[in-house]
Amino acid sequence: MSEQRMYPGTGPDERTTFAPYSAFEIPADLRELHGHYDVESMARRVRNFRYAEEWSMMILGGWIATIPELPVKTGLGKIVWDAAQAADVLGKRLPELRCGRKSVDASESPNDGFAGFVQAVAEPETPDLTIEKLAGMFDVLKPHLIEVYERTARETDYISDAPTIELLEDIVRKARRHQAWAAEVLDRLCDTDARQQRRRARAAELTRQLEACGGVAGDLGIANA
Amino acid sequence: MKRFIHHSELARDQRFVRQDNAPSTVLASLPDDVDTVVNVFDQFSDMIEKSVQGTAAEPLFDEYGPAFGLVTLNEPLQPGAPAERQRLAMRLHAIFVGELQALEGASRSLWDFPDAPWEFKMNMARQAWDEARHVQIFEKLMDHVGCKTGDYPESTFLFECACSEDPALRVAGVNRGLEGLACDVFRDLIRFAEQLGDELMKQAMDYVLADELTHVRFGSEWVKEFTRGDPERFKRAQDFRRQVDKQFSLGGARSDREDAAVPIAMQDRREAGFTEEELRELTQLSGGGPSRKTLTAATKIIRERHLARRAEQREQTQEATA
Repeated sequence: MSEQRMYPGTGPDERTTFAPYSAFEIPADLRELHGHYDVESMARRVRNFRYAEEWSMMILGGWIATIPELPVKTGLGKIVWDAAQAADVLGKRLPELRCGRKSVDASESPNDGFAGFVQAVAEPETPDLTIEKLAGMFDVLKPHLIEVYERTARETDYISDAPTIELLEDIVRKARRHQAWAAEVLDRLCDTDARQQRRRARAAELTRQLEACGGVAGDLGIANA
Repeated sequence: MKRFIHHSELARDQRFVRQDNAPSTVLASLPDDVDTVVNVFDQFSDMIEKSVQGTAAEPLFDEYGPAFGLVTLNEPLQPGAPAERQRLAMRLHAIFVGELQALEGASRSLWDFPDAPWEFKMNMARQAWDEARHVQIFEKLMDHVGCKTGDYPESTFLFECACSEDPALRVAGVNRGLEGLACDVFRDLIRFAEQLGDELMKQAMDYVLADELTHVRFGSEWVKEFTRGDPERFKRAQDFRRQVDKQFSLGGARSDREDAAVPIAMQDRREAGFTEEELRELTQLSGGGPSRKTLTAATKIIRERHLARRAEQREQTQEATA
């Protein structure tokens, strides 16, 4: 019996004795190369996403002192931290996308329209406007971010850009939890027709503004952008 | 949404009653003199009475008069001491609203200073979550001792003192002044919970104290960072921290004096990054208020005057009815 060869040599008869094992192909890797975004365009999207997360964190942080409902104050405390972590991991992805080592805190709005939309979300200030505050953030901005993050994760290269997919999936998982929490809070707060109407009106107004500017990456409504 | 809010703009639900901050501010600068303490509390009597109406502190006001707060502040918490449960409830409620204001202070820093370095924002965001959990913890602890939100009036003194419009001063005030006070108070409550054999309270406080050390460390690091290469600003930050420490010493109730109700948690503060020089300073400036003996004497006189006024009012009412 010939001795088992552990490592390949330089000649054709110096191969190892390990047989290719088909089980390694199960489940078959059906992923295909080539996604919708190249490195540069993905880096731009990540800066756009980071802009949205950083501003969400700052706006929610600003609101906590202006919201009278105690469970909403404390609930937002956690969401502020989750938004900060989201912005942080997005920033850490930027140097990996050839943006330079100092790019970890780079945030960028896709256009002036989206920056204006974010400021419009932040506008409600007084303690009687909890419905308007939460409707803008959790009925409009956050669902939009979830939708765009999921689309981006589907459309990018599954293998080459897997690190972006992983971090977006983590952000989406937490964002869905935030949305469920906020939906419950808003349902409870909007206990009359008039309050429900306030919620709908606020969401409709901001949705129009969001669509007009093209959303967080500036490509909302552009087919397969 | 505007940058920077006034402490009177902190939003609360209908359970909360607000107390004017003036008595706390004055208390911080009182000398060790019985007559001055008596006169100051006499002066604030109507204001204090109004703020306790309908709260669990109303019976205390009825019994002790406007200085009822001194009765609870003045003596260390000890198992079996008179009115132990009520004093514990008052202290937990005071910490609860303090945590609420710390949550608001830390989270407002995210909005008030949009151009601050990213790591600063991360620290403040983390602190916001920690303080939110602390609020929830103290809601549970208040329930544990039979007290509920709004049982006592809330002073926004902590937010007022600590929330400067300069980020270096804000972290000096909130993270080093307010959170430093929290270290002292929680270490004292851990001691009390141990004496009481209350494992639930002890463990909760232990975790909260661990968080507070982290927040003080944030403050220690960011004061240095914000004032790097700017000795004038560093001096302003240190002066502000001293001023906040003096105010938060509550006339010596929190100090290193033998008669302090809340001793300074030296070891915890060292671990959190306070220097020996800063601790020496804190010892000096916090120890300058009225002694426990002075406050006890003043409280007695204030109570006598209060009871006499009440008796006079009753007589007048009876005469009017007759």
